Amino acid sequence: MEILRFSGTRSLLKPFSNTNILMIILVTALCCTGLLALYSASLHIDLPLFKRVVGKQFIWIMMGGTLATIVFFIQRKVFFDTAYFLYLFGIVLILLPFILGKSPTGTCRWISIGTFHFQPSEFMKVFVILAISKYLSSADISVSDFRALIVPVLFSLVPMLIILKQPDLGTSMIFFILVFPLLFWAGARLFHIFVILSPIISILTAFNFYTFFIWVVLLILVLYLSKEKLWVSIVLLIFNLSLGFATPVLWNKLRPYQQNRILTLFNVNADSLGAGYQIIQSKIAIGSGGLFGKGLGQGTQTHLKFLPEQHSDFIFSVIGEEYGFAGVMFVLILFFVMIMVLLTSSYRLRDRFSSLVIIGIGSTLFLHVVINIAMTIGLMPVTGLPLPFLSYGGSFIITCFIFVGLVLNINAEKPG
Amino acid sequence: MFRSQNTVSFERRNILILIVIALFAVLIGRLYYIQIVQYSRFVGIAEANRIRIVPLEAQRGIIHDRNGQIIADNKSQYNINIIPFEVRSSEKTYNILGDFLGLTKNQIQRRINHNWRGQFSPARVAEDINFKILTNLEEHKLDLPGVLYSLEPIRSFPSRASLPHVLGYLREVSKKDLKSKKYFGYRAGDLIGWKGVEREYEKILRGKRGYDYLQVDVHGREVGSLQDKEKILPIPGNDLYLTIDFDLQVYAESIMGSKRGAIIVMDSNSGEILSLISKPDYSPNLFSGIIEPSVWDKLRDNPDQPLYNRVTQGTYSPGSAFKIVAAMAALENGVVDSNWTVRCRGKYRLGRRVFKCWRERGHGRMNMHDAITNSCNVYFYNLIRKMDIDIWADNARIFGFGSKTNIDLPEESNGIVPDTEFLDRKYGVGGWAEGNKLNLVIGQGDLLVTPIQMARFTAALATRGKLVQPHVGLRYFNKELNNFILFSTEIDSIEDYSESTWNFIQYSMFDVVNHRNGTARSARVKGLKVYGKTGTAQNPHGDPHAWFIGFTKDRNRSIAIVVLVEHGGSGGSAAAPIAGKLFRYCYEKNINQMIVSSGNSEI
Repeated sequence: MEILRFSGTRSLLKPFSNTNILMIILVTALCCTGLLALYSASLHIDLPLFKRVVGKQFIWIMMGGTLATIVFFIQRKVFFDTAYFLYLFGIVLILLPFILGKSPTGTCRWISIGTFHFQPSEFMKVFVILAISKYLSSADISVSDFRALIVPVLFSLVPMLIILKQPDLGTSMIFFILVFPLLFWAGARLFHIFVILSPIISILTAFNFYTFFIWVVLLILVLYLSKEKLWVSIVLLIFNLSLGFATPVLWNKLRPYQQNRILTLFNVNADSLGAGYQIIQSKIAIGSGGLFGKGLGQGTQTHLKFLPEQHSDFIFSVIGEEYGFAGVMFVLILFFVMIMVLLTSSYRLRDRFSSLVIIGIGSTLFLHVVINIAMTIGLMPVTGLPLPFLSYGGSFIITCFIFVGLVLNINAEKPG
Repeated sequence: MFRSQNTVSFERRNILILIVIALFAVLIGRLYYIQIVQYSRFVGIAEANRIRIVPLEAQRGIIHDRNGQIIADNKSQYNINIIPFEVRSSEKTYNILGDFLGLTKNQIQRRINHNWRGQFSPARVAEDINFKILTNLEEHKLDLPGVLYSLEPIRSFPSRASLPHVLGYLREVSKKDLKSKKYFGYRAGDLIGWKGVEREYEKILRGKRGYDYLQVDVHGREVGSLQDKEKILPIPGNDLYLTIDFDLQVYAESIMGSKRGAIIVMDSNSGEILSLISKPDYSPNLFSGIIEPSVWDKLRDNPDQPLYNRVTQGTYSPGSAFKIVAAMAALENGVVDSNWTVRCRGKYRLGRRVFKCWRERGHGRMNMHDAITNSCNVYFYNLIRKMDIDIWADNARIFGFGSKTNIDLPEESNGIVPDTEFLDRKYGVGGWAEGNKLNLVIGQGDLLVTPIQMARFTAALATRGKLVQPHVGLRYFNKELNNFILFSTEIDSIEDYSESTWNFIQYSMFDVVNHRNGTARSARVKGLKVYGKTGTAQNPHGDPHAWFIGFTKDRNRSIAIVVLVEHGGSGGSAAAPIAGKLFRYCYEKNINQMIVSSGNSEI
């Protein structure tokens, strides 16, 4: 069996569809913008260009591009066939840091091979998308059956819990949210998706009487409108109510150190400096950029280091400060077009696996974009999610390029 | 190849598209709000972030005496300030800083709150830091983001004269004053004149604060100066020249010694105060920077009241010195003439009450001149019986008793000149009688005067009716005009007395000092014409207060002196000798010449 495409008849396919050309342009534009911002952020660092973050990022991008090309030429069937195996491999990878021992900062996110470090949770994003897509496109399941949704949810739940323990709240959130667009796209009933979500909402709202009350009213309304069997509705309602009532009781029964342990879980990347310092500085950077920004290398927030994590999580703030509203709109438009390209191409694709992989990739990128930017402008707490193609970071850049390779690969087939 | 078809519906695709558009719209809306709507606000914060505005405190104007000798100067001290916004971990920073300064974390926090001017502005936490602490702080600069020190001027008092009640002192501006319009532009922690000329001439003495703009990074390190903002240099306050004669002041303080009371030496014609003493007092050095609360409490609660300016705030019975008022009132209103005589047998009977003369065996028969010279009480008891109390009160008010002299020192008392209305109010109509009059005429009873009112009175006697406004501020050097500006004062003139009355009073006062029977012979100065009157004011707290008021005349120039020694005994023995020494000093140093040279004195 050939693995690579050009060894068989499939090499005759048109590799550069319009979608692919657009995708390559978008990725190139985003990477260049990111490099420019990194160049500015490292302008006053007294190192040769290739030792600065901008130089290293360039190398990552080159490596990513190479990897994307390889992925592009791999037969798509290989991804389908090896999806579950890759998933298991990924689980082993994200468990490895726990076995190898903690990093000096007390986290288990990294695997180090010599001087080379990588974050397996990034690659896991690819494997989860592939596995769920494969499962949902198997011929012997009926997506409208609730039981068919259990496996995909487990596929996302397992890595989510492991990564939560690393701890990395932002990334684990991505794994959890990711399953919903996939289920939705595969045709799962909205009521079923609602049922999966309901216990989580019950727990989260249970700490405040009013939020819980509103949630219960909403729950009853949805149950009524769904016209499900009466016993299903009653069981669901009772389940959620008891969950809601039990949560605060159980919480209070926890010892303070146990409560703290859970609280810190949701607070890992939160501000070590207190009083929302990072978000404040990020907002100041973006806000002071105004319409056209302060210009390359002129951002005082960036260059006087008021802006934290400016190479990675807060790279968007650098763009906001130095290129202003015009600059951030440019980036947002690039992302918006990219997401739309993925959505529409996924819609047109003939086979379900390919379509689901594209939707999974699109959702992952979209979630990163929204959560990251919302964080930099103070709409969300600091969770530590990078911005695709722009943020500095090897593992994440390479993951993004694997996504690109997959997208190009899938769209090389003439859509039906 | 793949077994299942993509069956996604058009609706589901559109729902996802709508979700994407909605979330992007939220992001764009928020970015628009931050970058366009709130642009100027964030630019301001970003500037404040990168620019450290370092206030450069201006020196207060130097205070000189009338001859240019420096009385209050400035020196620099190092202060520690904290910019709250730049402090990362208050726990750590305050602990390290506290170790160096010998303060607890809470003390530092309290000082910051007390001097809070906003999170980007430095708040004072410690003052007058020595060099060793400074070096330590410099070494730990990186552990102490937001902590900076500044060189700031404070008052210093190089002179031997302390002069605290004239100079006054500086204290931190109160929270209440900060809100009032008068103190617009002041900030918490600023020192303002709180008493004395420091307060009275605050606007003149106060300089204009300058600012330095430094570019700093997130660690508070200065990474350079700003190109676009130029340093604003502080403008020192204007130099103030007082009417005080420094040498005379030092001499007066030395002869007053540890006695309690007040001395005023004044130019009779202009109201310029050459020397002013209120004892007990305090060292102005206590107030050079910000006074320690414990020291302040001690000063404030001291039963001797060193913070209390006896010259302007203290009210006393004037004793016999006030007989002059009765004499002038009687002469001018035709009650008696100066030849009217009374036989003094040492006491005066009014109904069942006996009013004594100070000399138990009596003075014998006396006319008005003798009565003044000998300070005979019985003569004036008889005199006041013939006079309406309101005439006497009117005459006292003519000389400004009962109202402020408007000296340029804050917090002056009015004193009390009792008249019918006052006595009716106090004792009820018919509740007082001739006895009250007898007390008042010899300067006792409800009559209360301040030493500065007595000085003005004395000057009026010397100048035959010039009612001056006593003052300690002479002139200041206006930096903008590059010229001296003289302070103007008001001089009223008293037209109520005839030349013969003035002649008689001055002649009598001359004999008080120079006649062999005079009560103030100890104020005599050979070769100098000294005029005066003693007073011995009974009071319920102990020995009588000793008064002496007097003046010299030398051609057209005149110096008035008031000496009050609290519980000093008789005016002749306790107060007059002090005045005599002062007169002699002025005579020998030729202070008259000096008054002329400062250009403010003429008749």
